[in-house]
Amino acid sequence: MSHYVQLFVQAAFVENLALSFFLGMCMFLAVSSRISTALGFGATVMIVQTLTVPLNQLINTWLLRPGAWAWAGLPELDLSYLGLISYIGVIAAFVQIVEMTVDRFFPALFRALGIYLPLLTVNCAILGGTLFMVERQYTFGEAAVYGAGSGFGWALAICAMAGLREKLAYADPPEGLRGLGLSFVVAGLISLGFMGFAGIDLR
Amino acid sequence: MTSAVHALAAPETHASPHIRDHLDLSAAMRCVLWAVTPAALFGAVNAGQQVLSAARVVGLDALPGWQLALVRVLGFPPSPESPGASLVVGLACAVPIVAVAAITGWLWSRLFARMRGRSSPEALPVAVTLFALCLPPGIPLWQVALGSSFAVVVGLEIFGGTGRNPVHPAVVGFVFLYFAYPASFSGPGVWVALEGAPGATVLGTLAENGPTAVRASQMRWTDTLIGWQPGALGVTSALASAIGGAFLVYAQLASWRVIAGGVLGLAASAALVNALGDPGQPGVGLPWAWHLTTGSFAFAIVFLATDPVTSPSTAPARFVYGILIGVLTLLVRVFSPSHPEGAMLAILLGNVLAPLLDHATVRVHCWRRRRRRG
Repeated sequence: MSHYVQLFVQAAFVENLALSFFLGMCMFLAVSSRISTALGFGATVMIVQTLTVPLNQLINTWLLRPGAWAWAGLPELDLSYLGLISYIGVIAAFVQIVEMTVDRFFPALFRALGIYLPLLTVNCAILGGTLFMVERQYTFGEAAVYGAGSGFGWALAICAMAGLREKLAYADPPEGLRGLGLSFVVAGLISLGFMGFAGIDLR
Repeated sequence: MTSAVHALAAPETHASPHIRDHLDLSAAMRCVLWAVTPAALFGAVNAGQQVLSAARVVGLDALPGWQLALVRVLGFPPSPESPGASLVVGLACAVPIVAVAAITGWLWSRLFARMRGRSSPEALPVAVTLFALCLPPGIPLWQVALGSSFAVVVGLEIFGGTGRNPVHPAVVGFVFLYFAYPASFSGPGVWVALEGAPGATVLGTLAENGPTAVRASQMRWTDTLIGWQPGALGVTSALASAIGGAFLVYAQLASWRVIAGGVLGLAASAALVNALGDPGQPGVGLPWAWHLTTGSFAFAIVFLATDPVTSPSTAPARFVYGILIGVLTLLVRVFSPSHPEGAMLAILLGNVLAPLLDHATVRVHCWRRRRRRG
């Protein structure tokens, strides 16, 4: 149990996808101008991440990795070169379902997110989560916890960013830093804050 | 409350916000400077006393010649028992650091002020003073200048000055230096400004060798409360910070909820970790009262966390913010072997999450109102 708690904390804070690996930066900066939108988008990413990482783990274990086809009597088959396209396929299918659900039940959020919702398909944070899972050879349970943790960390990061950016409405930056420039600086400051977690080791 | 600060009042209102009151922005900032004075003065005496005690072991020759000459000229015996000698040596450590931080910060703010055609931000003196007081006495001066530049430019000026910065400039400057030059924050000759002096902080000893080593060091809890311990320039005395905090709360410049939340969060989480934690881990086992008085927590929660610009603005959020800082401080102290002290990191994270806490408070309030009124 404590192993899973540690994995969750590690994925959410220590190895925060947005602030330690700088993955998913485009949406991190594009959808973080208001807290309400960021909350909705963060929740969406968390759901997608929590479900696609374990799903891809199953696909990798039973279909792709070397020796995965042993259950069908083909132990020498290695389909791992199909990895990227299969993972993206799973993510794309999943995002399509999420998109239809959001459109049906949360039309306001759907309008606010605009093009960024379908673009979740190519969000590097989500693909990155899957690829980390493959590289670290997580079991199914670990993959589920890792997906939830990394999704939660990304959602927390974008919400914190949105909070600070709402506050920046009062800022008066020099000419060259107006708009996105100042947001980059703020993202750096948040990342500096998260560096405090870097050495934390819960046992 | 107003009579307390009448004597410090500003004669006229110059810059925005244009509210005429005898407690305007620069008067409020002067109050904070007054509040931090006891901690700073005591910190100087303590820094000098630590240097002189270490010199007794290492030898007086390790002391810079001009400091020794200064002590002798003023007629003090160069021993840690003499408060005069301690103050002189301590000021010789502290004044250059504070002066370099202040001058660098002032130059940057003049540059921005000229560019924008208005006066320097009122928050500048407080920001650079607090930044300098959080630094270890043995830090090289060029790093002080670099950190102060980062604090003033990235922490304050590019956002437009007082009241517009999302995170506390002093914290930004400190954390920047802490991660950029970790060697200046650990090892010999750092927390006691004497070359080759061991002088580990209480929390440094704890992180390295565990609570038994702290108990073996003969230091008593009252020593740490008063502030006789190696540490950063102005932060060692929890008592002096508490006095400054009492003044700030009385003058309504600091929120008591933040301070109470922080103390409660740190004490409760320390007690919890000591009760449930694995005793084999070095950080587990230091009593909660020691956690409150060691490191820079007391100073940071009183002077840095209560900054009205970067802390939340709603009452429940302030309390939660304080608790969050206390708990995060303990988490870093106990579970992060590479960072013996986490108060500044916790405040940076607290600042980052502050707007979210406000948002959550408003949402909960709206929801409860709707439930009550239908």
